Amino acid sequence: MKLEVKNITKSFGEKEILKGISFSVESGKALGLLGRNGAGKTTTIRILMDVFHGNSGEILLDGEKFNPRKVQIGYLPEERGLYPKREILEQMIYLARLRGIGRNQAVENSRKWLKRLQVLEYEKKLLETLSKGNQQKVQLASTLVCDPEIVILDEPFSGLDPVNSQILQEVVQELISDGKIVIFSSHQMSYVEEFCEDVVIINHGEVVLNGNLSEIKREYGKNQLVISGVGVTQADMEALLRRRLPELLEITGKTKEEVIVRLLEGVTRKQLFQKLAKMEELEIEHFETYKPSLNDIFVAKVGEES
Amino acid sequence: MKRFWTVFEFELLSYIKNKSFVITTILMAVLLGGITFLPRFFDMSGMLGIETTNSQEESTDDGEEDKEKDVTSLGIVDKNGYFADKAILEQAFQDTEFIFMESDTELKQSVEEEKIAAGFYVVDDMNYQYFVLNRDMADSNQMIFNELLSVIHKQIYCQEHDIDYETFVADYEAPVQCEEKVLGKDAADNFWYCYALVIIIFMVIIMYGVMIATSVTTEKSNRSIEVLVTSVDSKYLLFGKVFAGAAAVIVQLTLILGAALAGYGINHEVWGNNLDILLDIPANVLVAFAVFGIGGFLFYAFLYGAMGALVSKTEDINKSSGTLQMVIMLVYFAVLFQLENPDGIIMKVCSYLPFSSYSAMFVRIGMGKVAFWEVCISVVILVISILFAGWLAAKIYRMGTLRYGNPIKLGKALKEMKQSE
Repeated sequence: MKLEVKNITKSFGEKEILKGISFSVESGKALGLLGRNGAGKTTTIRILMDVFHGNSGEILLDGEKFNPRKVQIGYLPEERGLYPKREILEQMIYLARLRGIGRNQAVENSRKWLKRLQVLEYEKKLLETLSKGNQQKVQLASTLVCDPEIVILDEPFSGLDPVNSQILQEVVQELISDGKIVIFSSHQMSYVEEFCEDVVIINHGEVVLNGNLSEIKREYGKNQLVISGVGVTQADMEALLRRRLPELLEITGKTKEEVIVRLLEGVTRKQLFQKLAKMEELEIEHFETYKPSLNDIFVAKVGEES
Repeated sequence: MKRFWTVFEFELLSYIKNKSFVITTILMAVLLGGITFLPRFFDMSGMLGIETTNSQEESTDDGEEDKEKDVTSLGIVDKNGYFADKAILEQAFQDTEFIFMESDTELKQSVEEEKIAAGFYVVDDMNYQYFVLNRDMADSNQMIFNELLSVIHKQIYCQEHDIDYETFVADYEAPVQCEEKVLGKDAADNFWYCYALVIIIFMVIIMYGVMIATSVTTEKSNRSIEVLVTSVDSKYLLFGKVFAGAAAVIVQLTLILGAALAGYGINHEVWGNNLDILLDIPANVLVAFAVFGIGGFLFYAFLYGAMGALVSKTEDINKSSGTLQMVIMLVYFAVLFQLENPDGIIMKVCSYLPFSSYSAMFVRIGMGKVAFWEVCISVVILVISILFAGWLAAKIYRMGTLRYGNPIKLGKALKEMKQSE
């Protein structure tokens, strides 16, 4: 299956929230929808789920108009919420049956997912009696209770402790290897990096970066190097490079202890290395290719104008 | 349709699993049913002011023990000696002891000191004074005494004119024969249960309406609505919810009313048929009550559901449903004030409007003249209105999803709905 989002726009009153969002994702892959708070991630997901209608654009599944009620979708909304005063198993069965699953299958699926997420022992409890983390897990279980083909998770990691995040990661990995389409939004980049092949970064309602994560990283790290010297502080290093080698490089950023530089057009690594080696006051500690983390790319792409 | 039943089942379960709902229903049914059996064990006449057979039996059978009962004392000043035979008085006034006194001052004083309950000062066979400290609503002393004195007056008259009293009475008070034949409905008979049923349906709509609105709003406030509307068409959600509410009402009312009616059916003889005006409801009225009651309930329940969707906090429900509440109140008062005039123009108009037919048409069926086709038209109007209200409410419900914050004005909601079409 291939889900395509094409040029979606949406305004609330005068305010234009989405200015043409496009991306696509296929079975067996996960797409990370990234963006700062208020960038339009949740709005995009809600339009995808037909909670709102977009003003223009279209959503296609295998080339046909996408109807979220016709396909089995597991949807975890950003605004979590189930019935606090009903038994957990009862409401999970209800949600499964609303999606057209038969009663017996619904019971079986509910138990399966409660067990997978390690909350089966609470099946007869009222939801409100559970801790927040466990409620989150129940919510996740009820998202998956209909055996969805497409799983859409809006900020799935918020509110989970590291152990529970680990469980969720494993579950998502399983879904991907089962050939499901997984779309999820997050601003916790480390999780996205773990299992997303593709990312879409949205900023102010526009896609600022879209594509295969490793390609993006490669592209972004191209011609960039990380440099540091023994016994030289990062600030001194930066000053030194600016003063002595402005014709070869520009400073693009810094890590904790190193300086990140980009080679100017026509300059080779060799040239730079030789120049650095010749500097008597500098003993080179690091000289390596810059491998940006998703977080770096994200901050660079989205943090620029702010 | 399968989804509708899924929602229906889930929502109905929420009523059935609600302990206070179950307990209230059972308690009310047992209580009302139980009350109808009470006269079998106790004398209810004093408590209710209703003569039950039980009390009558006692007063006739237990002649000896009568004296132990509370005996009221009445004073009398009878200078002319009309009541020389005290038996006449004590026969007329049951359980009463008469104390003869000399003067009106003594009589007045005794009344004031509450030695006697009341007193009569007989002036002549046409005039007397009645003294009482606080007059009771049901004080019948005067009426009885009027009768007595008038008999004495007639006797004296007969003596004076040398007429045989027996013959005179037989001729003078020859009873007028009347055979009552009500060809239509006897409004006097139907009044009380119509009155009661109008109140019941009014209470049910207000109570359950708010419950349905609350249940919609709760889904917004606990944020489960987003999962729900993305899983299933909002029509099913709202229809399931409202019909589950209706089913709960029907079950509850059937149990409670059923217990009262069945209990009275078994015990009506012990009650001396005194509650017939309230509890002996003819089948056609009950059917009309059921049809129009359920119809009216559904109509308002949908509107209440829509009102619930306009707000996101349960505290705000009263704000959004105020107008609706007002309409229901107006209908209620209009119908109650026109209850004695079921064929008046107000009732006729009200019996067709979906807002009011639930009580107006049912009252007309119970108490007035109404043709079958009129009832049919009213039912058709009601059914169409219910479907429309349901459709509208489902739209508003869908639109109200994810609208958090201040209550949405109904006008604004309708406008936006039109735009999004």
